[in-house]
Amino acid sequence: MNAIIFSALLGVVMMFSGILTTNKQAIKNIALVCLTLLLVANLANHYEWYSIKIDTKQMFSFGKYGYFFNTIAITATLLYVFVSGDDIVKVGSYGAEYFALIFFVLCGVTILSSYNNLLMLFLGIEIMTIPLYILTGSDKKNLHSNEAALKYFLMGAFSTGIMLMGIALLYGSSGSFGIESIVNNTSITLMKVPILEVIGLMFVFVSMLFKVSAAPFHFWTPDVYDGAPSVFTSFMATIVKSAGFIALITLFANKSEELGKLWNILLVIVIIATLLVGNITAVFQQSVKRMLAYSSIAQAGFMLFALYSRNEIARDGILLYTTAYSLATIGTFAILIKMEDHSLDGYNGLAKSQPLLAATQTIFLFSLAGIPLTAGFFAKYFMLASVIRTGGNAAIYLVIIGVLFAAVSLYYYFKVIQAMYFKEGNAATTKITPSFKFALLLLAFLIILFGVMPDALLGLFYF
Amino acid sequence: MNITQILFWFLSVLALVSALMVLLSKNPVHSVLWLIVVFFAISGHYILLNAQFLAIVNLIVYAGAIMVLFLFVIMLMNLSADTEPQKNVWMKLAGTIAGGCFLISTCNIVYNAQNVSQEIAGKTALLNQGNIGLIGNLGKVLFKDYVVPFEISSVLFLSAMVGAVVIGKKEKSNV
Repeated sequence: MNAIIFSALLGVVMMFSGILTTNKQAIKNIALVCLTLLLVANLANHYEWYSIKIDTKQMFSFGKYGYFFNTIAITATLLYVFVSGDDIVKVGSYGAEYFALIFFVLCGVTILSSYNNLLMLFLGIEIMTIPLYILTGSDKKNLHSNEAALKYFLMGAFSTGIMLMGIALLYGSSGSFGIESIVNNTSITLMKVPILEVIGLMFVFVSMLFKVSAAPFHFWTPDVYDGAPSVFTSFMATIVKSAGFIALITLFANKSEELGKLWNILLVIVIIATLLVGNITAVFQQSVKRMLAYSSIAQAGFMLFALYSRNEIARDGILLYTTAYSLATIGTFAILIKMEDHSLDGYNGLAKSQPLLAATQTIFLFSLAGIPLTAGFFAKYFMLASVIRTGGNAAIYLVIIGVLFAAVSLYYYFKVIQAMYFKEGNAATTKITPSFKFALLLLAFLIILFGVMPDALLGLFYF
Repeated sequence: MNITQILFWFLSVLALVSALMVLLSKNPVHSVLWLIVVFFAISGHYILLNAQFLAIVNLIVYAGAIMVLFLFVIMLMNLSADTEPQKNVWMKLAGTIAGGCFLISTCNIVYNAQNVSQEIAGKTALLNQGNIGLIGNLGKVLFKDYVVPFEISSVLFLSAMVGAVVIGKKEKSNV
């Protein structure tokens, strides 16, 4: 609860700090302080210290899992601002407002991590996406940014409409917005189909798949990620996407028994389609930014494994996965922003001109691909292990397909590494400050740390 | 016939006639104006049914906001009787089927309602009864059971407002 209240309040603080100062460095520093405060507030919740005790009337079910996800999301945002803060204020002339919108997105994220009611699911999703439409279009003089914002807004509005329709149908069938009531009443079997609930759940599912950009609802992703200012793409692809997954898992996970075979077949189709589309299309991209957009679809496919297996390992694994994926993607995008040329050729010879950037970039890409000794490896390992745990032939085939596509992903991640180290060229970057280098090193260190001892992260959860 | 019954019949006739006029008038602007009359008549019905909140919201949102939007669109697109686009046969057919389905399901509801309860059998409408639509009751539910979502939606509106300013305001030239 603290995180929800404080993220909204600190958003307002950020908004008003724009009146007091127009100094960009100052705004960035205020944002860093506010994020630290938010982190402290959330940790206080973890230790059962509440700012206000509210009877939420079953709207929320706060628990350690939600708090821990909040901690991860807020820490990731803190690192993100630490690395790319200077570029956020450079996008346009409203630096303070961009940060305010980021805080409002975090408010949505914290709602989604502990909602217990379809009404809150809807509000959380909306609070999370509406600021994103604006951030996508914040580079007002760039036509691509405008196009991306309009596309994202129209598609997002449609998907929200579908979700509302689904929620209305669920309400019609159970008479309540609570997610428990759906769990207990639903049994998707061929024998007796509660038609309203099935259609309602499907609508909500489709809309959520859209939000996390899983195939076949991924078509907006490349255009929007490509058109949006790179700093905000980084935010959208990491923290927001993870929150979408947490919301999906909260909605569907605790009914593993009630949901029948049909559900698993549907999920397998979605997972394979997402992996296929993301990985295969990423291979053909010439622009690194667009390649990362497709790779984020591919990573979404891996995160969907947690939804398929719905067990303890999956619950831990998704936390590890979001951490590993967020850290690596934030770093990769931070370097991408500094590049003059966003195409693959723009990275040619980066190892010569900026050895540190090339080295950290390599670590980030290793982690995204899932090479051992990086956090990405254990993230993927946990996902696959959770699927194995469910047992059955389907699980084995699913794991094999997952490993195959992880191998495909190596190809396009290594193309960037190859360009940096083995190709002649003159990779031009904008000015690199020492603090930026330090931030990159910090990210790389965290990735290696969680790669060597994933328990360091998961241990925090169970302390 | 007491006064409520007279009102009921008057409003019903008004709603039906103006709904027909929406379809029959050639000028789109007239159609929109007739539609506003329909909304007013329906709001009158809501008040007769003791649903004050619904009546007010219907007026504010539909007759107020949405109809103004319609008028704007029509004026901006400069539609008039002679520029009305020709609709093809399939569109008309689809419209007829969709409307027919709606008519059937509505008739079905009315027909079934007579069988469900003796209380309402044979009556046109239950006037002046029930208190579920009173603003007071709605407020109690909103501020007791649903107070958390109500408060949290303020964040949504705030972010939309900030966003509108960020998108709408001019970029300062000195950057």
